[in-house]
Amino acid sequence: MTPNAASPGSPRTAPSRRGFLATGAVAAVAVAGGAPLLTACGGDGDTGKKDGTTSGKDAARILPAFVASDVVPADIPAADGSAAGFTRAIPSAELKASVAERKGKGTALTVMAPFWGTPPAPGNPYYRAMNEAIGVQATWQNQDGNVYDQKLGAVLASSDVPDVVVVPGWNLGGKIPSAIEAKFEDLGPYLSGDKVKAYPNLAAIPTDAWQRSIFGGRLRGLPMPASYVTNIAPFYRKDLFDAKGWQLPRSADEFLALAKEITSARAKVWACGDMTWTAWNMFGVLNGGDKALGWNLVDGRLVNRIETPEYLEALEWTRKLFDAGVVHPDEKAQNQGDTGNRFTAGQCLVYNNDLSHWYAKTSEQAAQNPAFAMAAMDVPGHDGGTPRLWATNPANIWAFVRKGAPKALIEDVLAIADFTAAPYGTKERMLTDYGTEGVHHTVEDGLPVKTDAGNLEVSSSWMFIASPAPYIAHPDTPEVTRAMVEWQQRMGAATRKSSFYGLTVTEPSRWTGLMNDFEQLEKDVVRGRRKVSDVQQAVSEWKSKGGDQLRDWYRKLLDTTGSAAG
Amino acid sequence: MKTHDTTDRRPRIPLGRRLRRDRALLLMTVPALVLVLVFHYVPVLGNVVAFQEYDPYVSTNGVTAIAESPWVGLAQFDRVLSDPSFWDAVENTLVFFLLQLVFFFPVPIALALLVHSLLRPRVRAFVQAVLYLPHFFSWVIVITVFQQVFGGAGIIAQTLRERGHEGFDLMTDPGTFKFLVTAEGIWKDAGWGVIVFLAALAAVDRSLYEAAAMDGADRWRRMWHVTLPALRPVIALLLVLRVGDALTVGFEQLLLQRDAVGPGAAEVLDTFVWWTGLRSQDFSYAAAAGLVKGLVGLVLVVSANKAAHLMGEQGVYRK
Amino acid sequence: MTQRLLERPLPAARGSRPARPSRWAAPARPVWEEPPTRAGLTAKAGLLVLACLAVLFPLWIVVVTSLSSKKTITETGGLVVVPRDLTLIAYRELLSGGQVTRAVLVSLGVTLVGTLFSTTVSVLCAYGLSRPGSVGHRLILFTLMGTMFFGAGLIPTYLLVQTLGLTDTYLALILPSAVSVFNILVLRAFFMGISPELTDSARIDGAGDLRILWTIVIPLSRAVIAVITLFYAVGYWSAWFNASIYLNDQTMMPLQNVLIQLAQKQEIPVGLGQAVKAGNLSGLAVQMAVMVLALLPVAVLSPFVQKHFKKGMLTGAVKG
Repeated sequence: MTPNAASPGSPRTAPSRRGFLATGAVAAVAVAGGAPLLTACGGDGDTGKKDGTTSGKDAARILPAFVASDVVPADIPAADGSAAGFTRAIPSAELKASVAERKGKGTALTVMAPFWGTPPAPGNPYYRAMNEAIGVQATWQNQDGNVYDQKLGAVLASSDVPDVVVVPGWNLGGKIPSAIEAKFEDLGPYLSGDKVKAYPNLAAIPTDAWQRSIFGGRLRGLPMPASYVTNIAPFYRKDLFDAKGWQLPRSADEFLALAKEITSARAKVWACGDMTWTAWNMFGVLNGGDKALGWNLVDGRLVNRIETPEYLEALEWTRKLFDAGVVHPDEKAQNQGDTGNRFTAGQCLVYNNDLSHWYAKTSEQAAQNPAFAMAAMDVPGHDGGTPRLWATNPANIWAFVRKGAPKALIEDVLAIADFTAAPYGTKERMLTDYGTEGVHHTVEDGLPVKTDAGNLEVSSSWMFIASPAPYIAHPDTPEVTRAMVEWQQRMGAATRKSSFYGLTVTEPSRWTGLMNDFEQLEKDVVRGRRKVSDVQQAVSEWKSKGGDQLRDWYRKLLDTTGSAAG
Repeated sequence: MKTHDTTDRRPRIPLGRRLRRDRALLLMTVPALVLVLVFHYVPVLGNVVAFQEYDPYVSTNGVTAIAESPWVGLAQFDRVLSDPSFWDAVENTLVFFLLQLVFFFPVPIALALLVHSLLRPRVRAFVQAVLYLPHFFSWVIVITVFQQVFGGAGIIAQTLRERGHEGFDLMTDPGTFKFLVTAEGIWKDAGWGVIVFLAALAAVDRSLYEAAAMDGADRWRRMWHVTLPALRPVIALLLVLRVGDALTVGFEQLLLQRDAVGPGAAEVLDTFVWWTGLRSQDFSYAAAAGLVKGLVGLVLVVSANKAAHLMGEQGVYRK
Repeated sequence: MTQRLLERPLPAARGSRPARPSRWAAPARPVWEEPPTRAGLTAKAGLLVLACLAVLFPLWIVVVTSLSSKKTITETGGLVVVPRDLTLIAYRELLSGGQVTRAVLVSLGVTLVGTLFSTTVSVLCAYGLSRPGSVGHRLILFTLMGTMFFGAGLIPTYLLVQTLGLTDTYLALILPSAVSVFNILVLRAFFMGISPELTDSARIDGAGDLRILWTIVIPLSRAVIAVITLFYAVGYWSAWFNASIYLNDQTMMPLQNVLIQLAQKQEIPVGLGQAVKAGNLSGLAVQMAVMVLALLPVAVLSPFVQKHFKKGMLTGAVKG
């Protein structure tokens, strides 16, 4: 923080973790108007005063009732955990209203949320239109998403917490779960059971997502629901694969063989990026993004992902990829922002990332390279059979209301949430996503396209306050939309739920750091710097340092509260 | 540039009179002192959490939370000091520091002499401006550029491959990583370090050169007998301060490259504290590690200062 | 005053034209200085050319990439070395919308006020500590130096700034980081190098410390004060963390934060309609353009500082 961190020997203070343009480090990728959709791997610990979780009968008393929305039927209905797909744009004249009247009572409130990009100016026409339509006076405090964890940590330690605070799942590290319990209001009295029916769009949020929003035994969060099907898609350059006649691999061995065939370092072509995330899926390794998801009941005994043979096999296989030199060297260095650039440049023909990249890259390249075609391959089962995938969290971003907020304020926050959770095809959704027609967007060939004002002012932060059940709607590329949903459905059919699926579990603080070293160890092993036996060593240390006790703790949790997976 | 000591060994003057004598001097230090006390020492008191299991969220705010967090004595220090990863990080830190001291520290001095010897003002201005520039590159860009040149798919590796040779990858080689980091540091900041020395050189009385030349001293002897003595106090000061800061080496630079070579080669004290303490909000642990680091720095600077005195230099403060 | 005389071009160098010689031309070498050897000159030139190339090549890459179209960048898959169909689209994107213009004004204001404040405070403090044996100077010195070893965490600092009511004010960008002890120590070392005869005689003439500082010490320390001013100015200009923590109002953000935001914005995928609209705009080009814009002020500042580095300025006081 010293202004002249430049001068040699001057005291260095706050870590400027993000230099000027850092993109890497944090496993969150910004997409869609300044909001991240990818949470991927590498979750942090949970600690808290009230340890454990809430499910089963206790949860049933807390959870809001579910009333599906039937405002606009999906073109591709959700199935097997997939999102619903909408392939058509709906003309403004046909947009439905999902909120009967203006619910807000005009409360002034502040909302703190992370933002990636240039936040809109305060009080701009879009904010005014939203506030007007909802009947509130919301003021946004958009914070730099890359230092949000630090800002959040400091703000929650002050006695001046904003009225609404958005917390992404990847910022749930350390003591933040305990802060959530201490600093945020219980929304149960407003939403539990039939009470939610006063907010039809909130009632249409899947129960899974609400279950994930129980922190410390209370319904505190307003969720941003997500599909529980893995979000990590292995993308390949369909145009180049077709041209060369390469067949998609159906097993781990086929993948490696194909990768060797593709790679030609001399021509600056490498087969793939870092495929660790896909390897987890190919080998059926339990989820690593959330600690509780990493536990599963096998033959009456809880096992952690790091204890499973699949974990070691996945590491070993990924290591083979690196060994064989088929991974792009910049991926090995891992300090280079966007794999996607190497993918579109044709230097790296397979990479894995959030499913949303399918749409993003396709539309980006449509103007650049008409021949460009990409697709997500089905995750190959390591042995050539069907892969065994594990469900991810059905919600991973929440909005919370500060503790002690007056009833009128809480109700106005819920009014916002009910508005922003409006489904596709409604006036509310359209205003939230595209602003006012004629000002923030125009309709071209039946598709809404943002104007310059729209690009500057329309902020996707609103959807952090609450979002509808997962859906994919890209009417500009209906075939991509369809392909994305169908990919999710095929993967969803192979997806199972582990013992603590959908629960927000707060581990006792003494064990929160136990797993910290594994993420780094994995990187070291696949890059050939540490041996697989080092992992086994680390696992046995983990057991003796508290892993076994943690197992007992989770076991007790399972026995007393039961699983939410049903 | 040597200090001229006029007050040493004088009979002691009563405090009251000395206060009156130095009143103006004391008043001049007040603004800086107040700023440091308020904006530095007040929050530094927060480091008491090093003796706690601190949770800033147990109470209405982070200050009252100190009263409600349990005291654990030296347990956090024990955690820090008994962790082998901590000592690995310390070892790496010291190696990085020594490499910097040997390879980095002299470069700005040499560059300053070189620039100083330029006579044409435009050439001098141009060279100087060019040398500063890299300081203003962010680390992300510096590393990106290095990757594009020295990486496995970089310009050099690809050129080699095109000519039928093996490629190479300097950016992910843990064995040479410490030199890579030093080279990156020199590239980015050596030019910037020049300016303090240029300021010192600007202060050298030219008549001294003339007198030395009259006495028959050639170019090198003039540098040895006039220029370097003029730079010595500044060099000594910067050296002492750098030694005191030995445990601080390129946080952002190393954090960005940690995955490329693994923590075995890249973990330094600051990144270690970041990963184990701050990232998981283990504030007590981070505070304890910070205090350990501060104490070591204090010991180092006092020793370095003493060494400077032994070599007849002023250092930072006097005996 | 000998050095004053030496500063003037010698009669021989003046030649027939009394006008100023080109600044590219070498000024006359002092008579007592022997001409350089050919080997020495070659070595020097070689070193300098190498050093400059090592800097200019990466700079070239950054500038060329900032001027490249999305098509070019897509084809190279990263930074561009060989320029092809250059475009200013990235700069246009950055400078449109008025965001940057306002942020430049904010940054200029903060840098000017902050630098003036910090330099004044530091010069005063350094002088206050520069007289050997003055009462309390060691205690003060150690107090200042303590900041170099013991730092505070973000939470206590944040709570302090908030308690003082500085959040969402520009003071939050200046006060918490106003004093750099390193700079004070450097200033002090230079001040202590000034010959005491000069200050003592002034004191005997009845001059107070403020006057001695103003009339003797500061004029003799122009070079180092210029350096410290530069340090502070660069620090304020390139700081971004404090603003991202202490400011909530987007319209108050200084330039660095706005540039970071603009660079991040380019990573955000857009729809087909937007992609067509954006045309040849590449995120990477914007990031590099941001870098170039950040370098510009340095190019502007640099001659200002160098003016104070003229050899043999009026510094007769310093004895080796």
